[in-house]
Amino acid sequence: MSTETLGPGTAPPTMEVVGMRKRFGVLVALDDVSLALTPGSFHAILGENGAGKSTLVKCLMGYHRPDAGRIFVDGRERVVANPREAHALGLGMVYQHFTLVPSMTAAENLLLGLPDLSPILRWNEARARIDAFMRQMPFRIDLDRPASTLAAGEKQKLEIFKQLFLGSRILILDEPTTVLTPDEADQILGVMRDMTRQERLTVVIITHKFREVLEFAQEVTVLRAGRRVGGGPVRDLGRDDLVRMMIGSTALAEPAPRLPTPQRAPLLELRGLVARNDRGVGAIRGASLTVHEGEIVGVAGVSGNGQRELVEVLAGQRALESGEIRIHGVVYSGTRLDRLRHRVSILTEEPLRNACVRSMSVEENLAFCNFDQPANTILGRFVSRRAIRDQARDLIDRFRIRTQSPAARLDTLSGGNVQRLVLARELSGDVAILIAQNPCAGLDFAATAEIRGRIMSARNAGATVLLISEDLDEILELADRIVVMFEGRIVYETPRDRADVHVIGHAMASHV
Amino acid sequence: MLARSSAETATISAAALLLSLALFGGFVALRGLNPLEVYSALFAGAFGNWFAIQYTLTQAAPLMLTGLCTAIPARAGLLVIGGEGALVMGGVATVLAGAGLTGVPALLGIPILCLAGAAGGGLWIGAAGALRQWRGVNETIATLLLNYIAIAVMNHLVSGPIRDFSQVLKPASWPIPEHLRLGDMPGTSIHWGLAAGILVCLLAWVLMRKTTFGFAVDVLGGNVRAAQLVGLPIARIVLTATVLAGAAAGLAGAFEVVAVHGFASASLAVGFGYTGILVAFLARQSPLGVILVSILLGGISASGGLLQRHFGLPDAATLVLRGILFVVVLASNTVYGRFRLFQGRAV
Amino acid sequence: MQAPTELGWWGVPIAVVGGTIRVSTPYLFVSLGETLTEKGGRINLGLEGTLVMGAMSAYATAYATGSPWLGVLVAGTVGALLGLLHGLACNLPRVNDIAVGIALFLLGTGLAFYLGKPYIEPVAPQLPSLALGAWSAYPQIRAALEINPLFFIGVALAPLMRWGLGNTRCGLIVRTVGDNADAARTLGYSVERVRALGTMAGGFLAGIGGSFLSLYYPGTWNEGLSSGQGLMAVTLVIFARWNPVACFYVSLLFGGATALGPALQSVGITANYYLYGAAPYALTLALLIWSSSTKHALVGAPSELTISK
Repeated sequence: MSTETLGPGTAPPTMEVVGMRKRFGVLVALDDVSLALTPGSFHAILGENGAGKSTLVKCLMGYHRPDAGRIFVDGRERVVANPREAHALGLGMVYQHFTLVPSMTAAENLLLGLPDLSPILRWNEARARIDAFMRQMPFRIDLDRPASTLAAGEKQKLEIFKQLFLGSRILILDEPTTVLTPDEADQILGVMRDMTRQERLTVVIITHKFREVLEFAQEVTVLRAGRRVGGGPVRDLGRDDLVRMMIGSTALAEPAPRLPTPQRAPLLELRGLVARNDRGVGAIRGASLTVHEGEIVGVAGVSGNGQRELVEVLAGQRALESGEIRIHGVVYSGTRLDRLRHRVSILTEEPLRNACVRSMSVEENLAFCNFDQPANTILGRFVSRRAIRDQARDLIDRFRIRTQSPAARLDTLSGGNVQRLVLARELSGDVAILIAQNPCAGLDFAATAEIRGRIMSARNAGATVLLISEDLDEILELADRIVVMFEGRIVYETPRDRADVHVIGHAMASHV
Repeated sequence: MLARSSAETATISAAALLLSLALFGGFVALRGLNPLEVYSALFAGAFGNWFAIQYTLTQAAPLMLTGLCTAIPARAGLLVIGGEGALVMGGVATVLAGAGLTGVPALLGIPILCLAGAAGGGLWIGAAGALRQWRGVNETIATLLLNYIAIAVMNHLVSGPIRDFSQVLKPASWPIPEHLRLGDMPGTSIHWGLAAGILVCLLAWVLMRKTTFGFAVDVLGGNVRAAQLVGLPIARIVLTATVLAGAAAGLAGAFEVVAVHGFASASLAVGFGYTGILVAFLARQSPLGVILVSILLGGISASGGLLQRHFGLPDAATLVLRGILFVVVLASNTVYGRFRLFQGRAV
Repeated sequence: MQAPTELGWWGVPIAVVGGTIRVSTPYLFVSLGETLTEKGGRINLGLEGTLVMGAMSAYATAYATGSPWLGVLVAGTVGALLGLLHGLACNLPRVNDIAVGIALFLLGTGLAFYLGKPYIEPVAPQLPSLALGAWSAYPQIRAALEINPLFFIGVALAPLMRWGLGNTRCGLIVRTVGDNADAARTLGYSVERVRALGTMAGGFLAGIGGSFLSLYYPGTWNEGLSSGQGLMAVTLVIFARWNPVACFYVSLLFGGATALGPALQSVGITANYYLYGAAPYALTLALLIWSSSTKHALVGAPSELTISK
C-alpha cells in the first residue's frame, strides 16, 4: 500500500458488507446490516445514539468480531480479525476521542502508525516522507509541536493526515465535527468531499446531523436499533425522509411550550471571572455574563473554550483567580451551604463519571445533596437509613427511574436511568438556578427529549437556567438568549428571535 | 472502596488466605519441610493453647490501630502507609509528655499519655493529609518518607536529648513515671492495648458506617468529582481522615510505651505499621474486619518463634508469608464482581 | 619533604565527592530503571524490595561462586523476576499498582532477609574498582577517586536511554503506552505486555543497583543495608521529570546528601548522626513537595501514570 501518492490511477477499493450481526450479551447491536461502498464515494451513516453506527464500523475495523456477516473488498471475501488487518486492506478510522499521544510531536505521532518501523528509527528518511506527503494535502500542520498543544481542529486534521499517510483509502470518520466550529466543520468536510471527487479516497462519516448528510454526502445508510432502515443516494432523499427513517414511528415528546416571561431582574451575575485549567493555563479569561430571573441563557461554544472550567467554578470544584459570582447581589462561592441557600442545582455531562458513585446504592446516590440535612439524620450526626429509603422511593416513582430496588448498586442502572437519577436529585426540590452542561450528551432521542422537556418545565416554573452546551441545536431549541464563549470570554450575545446560526458560528471561531 | 456484599468479601478473603498458605507451603517445601507440619505449627503457635492465644492477642493489639491508620483514609480514596512513623512519633510524644506528669495521679495521667500519643501520630499523618490537600503531594510516597524520617528523629532523640543512660542494652529514652504504667488486663497476660484497639475499631466502625461524616467519606472515596460536585468539604474530610488515622497509630505507640516497654526506643519500629497496611487491605478497609484480620496476622507473627524452634526457619519466614498474602490479596481485587452469585445488592 | 597526611577541612568536600560518586550509583540504576517503567505508565514502589533482594542475591552468588560480576548478573535477573511479578499483578484489572508496589516492597524485603540469613557472617568477594586517583599523594583523594565500573556503566546508560526513548521503535512504543494507552491498543500493541516488560527492565536495573550495595559500598550484607533508597529513587524520577539524563544529575545530588553524614564522621564530626541520616529523606520529601502542585499535574508525567491522574 503506497503512502507516497494518492493520485488518480490508484483508486480506492470497493467494499461491501453483507448481513452483519453483532450482539453484546442480550443487547443486539447490529441485526442483518448490509452496506455497499463505491470507490470515491462520500457515504454517511446516519442514526441516533445507540443505533449501531459505532458497532458497525468497529466490526469493519476489526475491533469486534461480528457474529455473522461477510465483508468483500474488491470482490474478494475478507476476514478482518484485528485493526492491523483492517489497515492492510486500506481501512482507516478517525475517532471522536483522539488517538494522539499528547507528549509526542505531530511527527512522532505520524511515525507511530507506520507498520514498517525499523528498530532504530530513521528520522531523516521518515521526515522526508512526511514532508513530501504533506505537500499533497490541502492543509498544513506544524509537525514539531507536542500534540497536547494543538487545538481541537488541528488535532482533527492531524488524525486525518495520519490515516492518509498510513495508506488509508477508505477513511471512516466518527462524528468528526463534534469538536469543531461550523466553519471548521465545513472546511474539513469540504476537503474530504473534494478528495472523494478526485477519486483519491472513499469517505464514510458517522453522524447524527442531517445538514452534514444533505450538504456533503452522496450516499447515506440509515440505522435504527441495529437495523438498516433505509438509505440510498442523498439527492433522492429529503430531510423529512431522513427524519422518518431515523426515528421511526415513535412520537417525540413535544418540547414543553415556552411561556412568555417579561424581562426580570438580574439574578446570576458573573463578573470578570478568571481561572486556570488543570495544566495551569488560563481557561477563563475575564468572562462576564448576567442571567435574568426566569430565562434560559444558552452558552454556545466549541469544546475547550473554558466551558468545563466555568461549570467547575460554579460547582465549587475550581477556584477563581479573580472576579466574582453574585446571586441576588450576594457573593456566591459554590460551597454546599451556598448552593442550598440559593437553591442552585447542577446537571453535568457524563453523570456516571461526574456525579455518581458506582459502588454506592441508588438510594444513597439520590441522597448526595441532602444526606446531612436534619430531615435525613438522627441526632444531627447519624444517617437515617429510613429517611433516605423513603426519599428514594418517592424520587424513583416521580422520575420513573428503572431499578431493581432502592438498595441496588448504581452500576446496575442503564445510562439513561443514571441521568434520570441525577435529574431526580437535582430537580426534585424547588430549584431557583439550574446550571446544565451538555445534559443530553450520548443519550438517545427519547431521553434527550425528556430531559429538554424537564429543563423547559423548570424554567416555566420560575427557575433560571444557564445552559452550557456544545450542541448548537440544543441551545437554539431551548434558550431565550444565546451567548457565545470563546477562549475564556463571553464574546457575543443575541436574543432568540434574532439568532442567526452563521453569525453565532463565526463568533464560536473568532470575534465577530 | 466500599465493602461489597459481606458474603462475597468473606469468601474471596478466605480464598486469598488459603492460596497464600498454599504458596507458602510450596515455599517451605523447597527447604525440605513438610508443608502440613508447618501449617499445624503455625496454628499451634497462634491458637494452640492459652499461652499462644494470649501472645497472638498481644501481637494483634497494635495491629488493630495501625490497620485503621490505612483503612480510614483508604475509604476516602487516599493510600496512607505511614502507620510505622505515626506509631513511633506517638511513642516519642508519650515519653515527652510523661516527663511532665510525675506528680499526676494515674487516673488522669494515663489518659493524658494516650492523648499525647494520639496527638503525636495525628499531627504526623495529618501533615501528609495537608500536603496532599494543599500541595497535591502524593500521600503514599509522603507517608512512606515520613516513616523513615520519624525513625531517624526517634533514634536521634533516644540516643541523645532524651536518653536514659542507665539503660545499657541499647539506646532508650527516659522511662515514663512508674505509676503511670499500665499492666495487663486482669486474669491475662495481655496488656490493655488490646481493649483499646477493639474499642477504637468499634468506634471507627460507627463513625464510618453510621454517621454523616462516614457517608461523606464514602462519596469522596467513591468518586472525587461527585464529591466536589455536591459541595462536600473535601479539605476538611481529608484532614480529619488523616488525623484520625495518625491518631490511631499514635495511640498504638502510646500503648507500646505505657503498657509494654515503659520507654521509647528502636523497639517501637518493629513493623507494626507495615503489617497494619496488610491488615487494612485484607479487611477491605472495614474497621470491623480490621479486628478479625489483626488477630489472624497477630497469630502469624506469634507463631514465628515456634517455627524457628521446630524447623529452624528464620523469623523472616513470617515476613515472607505476610508478603505473599499481601500480593495475593491485592491480586484478588480483580475477582470481585465477577461471580454472579454475589451480585445485585449494595451493602 | 614530609608526605602530607592531613588535609584538614578539605577532607570533607573531598570525602563528599568520593562518597557522592559511590553512593549515587545505586540511585542512578534504580532511577533509570524506574524511569523506563514509568514512561510506560506504571509506578513501581516495590523497588526498595528489589534493591534489597538484588543485594542479597548478588552477595550470595558472589560468595558461592567467587565471582562478583556473576553476582551482579544474578542480582539483575532476580530484579527482573520481581519486576515481572509486579507487572503481571498490575495487569489484572482493578489492581492498583501503588498498592502492589508496597506489597512487593514487603515481600522482597522479607524474602531477602529470609534467604539471606546464612550470608550475614561470610565475606563475599567484592567488585573491583578503578583507581583513578592513583596520581595523588593524598590518601583521601585516592580513596575518593576509587570508582566502580558500574558507575561508568550507569553514566553511559543515561544518555543512551534518552536517545533510545526518542529514536528507537521500542522507545516510541513505551512512550505511547505510558501516555495514551488507547492509542497504543488502536495500533495493535499489547499495553499489558509492554508494561510488564518495562517493569522487568526496571527491576533488572534496580537489582544491579542492589548488587552495588553488597558488593562494593558498603560492601556487606545485613538487614540494615538499604533503608529507603529504592523509594527515594522513585521520587527522584519525578523530580527529574522522567528525563534519564536529569536522573543522573539528581542521583548525584542524592548521593551527596546521603554521603554527607559519613563524610563528616570521617573527619570526626559524630554528633547528630541520625539527623544526617534523615537528610536524604527530608531532601526527597522537600523535592516532592516542590514538584507537586494542586493546580496542575506533575510536569512531564506520562499521562497514564496513576499518580498523575
